[in-house]
Amino acid sequence: MLGWLVRGLRGGRVTTGYPARPELAPAGFQGRVEVLDATGADRLLETVCPTGAIAVDADARVRLDRGRCILCGACVRVEPERFAFAARYETASRRRSALVSGAAGDDVEPLRRSLAERVRALRRSVHIRHVDAGSDGAEEWEIQALFNPYYDVQRLGLFFTPSPRHADVLLVTGGVTEPMRAPLERAWRVMPEPKAVVAVGTDACSGGLAGGGPHTLGGVDALLPVDVYVPGSPPAPIAILHGLLLAVGVLAEDAA
Amino acid sequence: MTTEPAPNLSRDRPDWLPPEFPGVLEPAPRGEVRLMIAGSAFSAGARILHAAGARFVTIFAARRPERWVIAVFALRGHLVVVRAPAPEDSVALHGSLGAWWPAARWPERALAEHRGVVPTDLDVSRPPLTAPDPDRVDGRVRGPDVFAIPYGPIRSGVFEAIQFLIETGGEDVPRLQTRPFFKHRGMADRFLGLVPDQAVHVAERVAGIAGVAYATAFSQAVERALGVEPPARAQRWRAVVAEVERLANHLDVVAKEAETTALFVGQARFQILKENVLRLQAALTGSRFGRGMVVPGGVRRDGGVDLGALLRAVDSFERELRRDRRLFLGTASMTDRLIGAGHLERALVEEYGAVGPLARGSGLSTDARHERPYGDYRRLGLEVMTASAGDAMARIEVRFGEMSESLRILRQAIDHLRRRDGELAVELPPRGTGAAFGWAEAPQGELVVWVELEDGVVGNVHLADPSLRNWALFDHAFPKDVLTDFAFIEHSFGLTPAGADG
Repeated sequence: MLGWLVRGLRGGRVTTGYPARPELAPAGFQGRVEVLDATGADRLLETVCPTGAIAVDADARVRLDRGRCILCGACVRVEPERFAFAARYETASRRRSALVSGAAGDDVEPLRRSLAERVRALRRSVHIRHVDAGSDGAEEWEIQALFNPYYDVQRLGLFFTPSPRHADVLLVTGGVTEPMRAPLERAWRVMPEPKAVVAVGTDACSGGLAGGGPHTLGGVDALLPVDVYVPGSPPAPIAILHGLLLAVGVLAEDAA
Repeated sequence: MTTEPAPNLSRDRPDWLPPEFPGVLEPAPRGEVRLMIAGSAFSAGARILHAAGARFVTIFAARRPERWVIAVFALRGHLVVVRAPAPEDSVALHGSLGAWWPAARWPERALAEHRGVVPTDLDVSRPPLTAPDPDRVDGRVRGPDVFAIPYGPIRSGVFEAIQFLIETGGEDVPRLQTRPFFKHRGMADRFLGLVPDQAVHVAERVAGIAGVAYATAFSQAVERALGVEPPARAQRWRAVVAEVERLANHLDVVAKEAETTALFVGQARFQILKENVLRLQAALTGSRFGRGMVVPGGVRRDGGVDLGALLRAVDSFERELRRDRRLFLGTASMTDRLIGAGHLERALVEEYGAVGPLARGSGLSTDARHERPYGDYRRLGLEVMTASAGDAMARIEVRFGEMSESLRILRQAIDHLRRRDGELAVELPPRGTGAAFGWAEAPQGELVVWVELEDGVVGNVHLADPSLRNWALFDHAFPKDVLTDFAFIEHSFGLTPAGADG
């Protein structure tokens, strides 16, 4: 046991300062796709995307729906002067429509500062219940990573709870398969008010590549009112944490 | 199965194939032996292979060039592929294999429920396997104070959806039923109509934590069907990202075991190592799960880091791992919970056709990288790690051994990458047609993927996932164990429900 003590102390502190301090994604990290130039696009561009996230309107303007994007990069390879990967973690939004490029997006820096305020202002701890409604399993790893020493969300007063009856936030992964529909709905129903639902991952936001068939509902918002969308396939731990902090804001507003 | 253009087709009947096997030999790519038999001889043929010591791999319906039912077995380092004509959707297979071969039970029922291919003597009145009702509690054990716990599909903690029906008197577990079928997304159908370059992204998302293995198996199936060989540099990069994925998965298992014992520093240490590995994967590929790297024809990028820095990262990782491993294996409160827990007899493991660290922990020396070496493993070689005890401890020891072997492979592959430059991918022939198997050793075990291509798009896919083949054994993993051993035994299996039911 002494060996572990020494080992633990020698490792030093590795925990991120987020959200009090920014956490930048490393260069080359494919966090989301940016539209560099929206004009003069060909309708054929729509067929490049395997999940139909790209739309070209009558004025030849491109719109990219990040709620559908799985970050495969097909568009970046076809038109590198129009699309590019951005090394960015914070991708979540409270409105589904804000995930579409060109929509009034959230400026990350002021938002991060207000999230940091919000965490400081937390008078009570927030309890989170996770439900897998048909993910590919990667989202669970990224949520579990929030407990590791790098992210350690308990320092922010965020706790995971076994019972939905004690939960303030429902964290849902997957596009909702038929056998998970009733258990998910039941978990949501027994949660006390105020409550917030966070859809984690592109599958939960829109069905993703796993949607489009008869076996899933094609997104959590087909069943439950979603308060925060965290796109990504899968979203990185900081992206999920960002979404959780947005959800804390939903709770604060509802309680007021 | 006409595979045009035909790569290295072999037409000789191998001498190890039982002479009484009724099938007619057909040309097949390297590593496969293909035989055609009548539907009426299907079950009898399977019995001959069973007697010869074959391992059941999977059974499914193929479409190209016409409808077939195909059963796949592993024997003497080859895939033995037995096909029988199935001219209609609802054709009756002559005799259920699952009735006498446990390994075939789940795949056969999945085939019946998803594709309507029903063996003549399969009991179809039973509740469906692949569309489970979470409220169905069919307890059978009778006795004072015996109760049934439906554990899942929503469980305490952050876990994938799965349900265990545990019948217990509080301590021993006389009966357990595993139901890993809450996540069926119909992934095999999501491939259809896509070009291989897009379809590989579906493969990556069947079981996200084994996405590299899935992309590799799928890509190799496409390449074998079209007679294409990816460049050497691409094969090396595939081995690198595959071994990084294996490290992350094995570390995840060890961290979860430490968490279950409340060995907090150990848990934190292995979580840190796992996070470092995921960050390394992100630096190499742009994705923490290596997505978008492996594609049919090769790889998409030449790593994202300086190879010298990569080698140094491997060295420093190994130093850290060695220290944590020594502490882990020297902590009696940890190992006491693993030794003897979840014991699986070798004969049982064989009968269930289990693969991966689970099978190797019960003394079976099975590893797709060794049995049918693919890609860079043909050159890199592999020491297959086994342990004979068959308990949770043995499975952890196998994983620790494999991590060391992964690091050796990483060093060797990186060294080759440094010394020689080369192409990253070859073009696939446009509008190609063909059908073949591809395989890879996922962190959970052998993964086999069948792909049919028609005019350059995917016409049919079948996925034989290691988690599905291993999970049926969980029902038998409590011979002398008590309910409180549950989490230890489950983590030692290290499986993923998403893969078990894509």
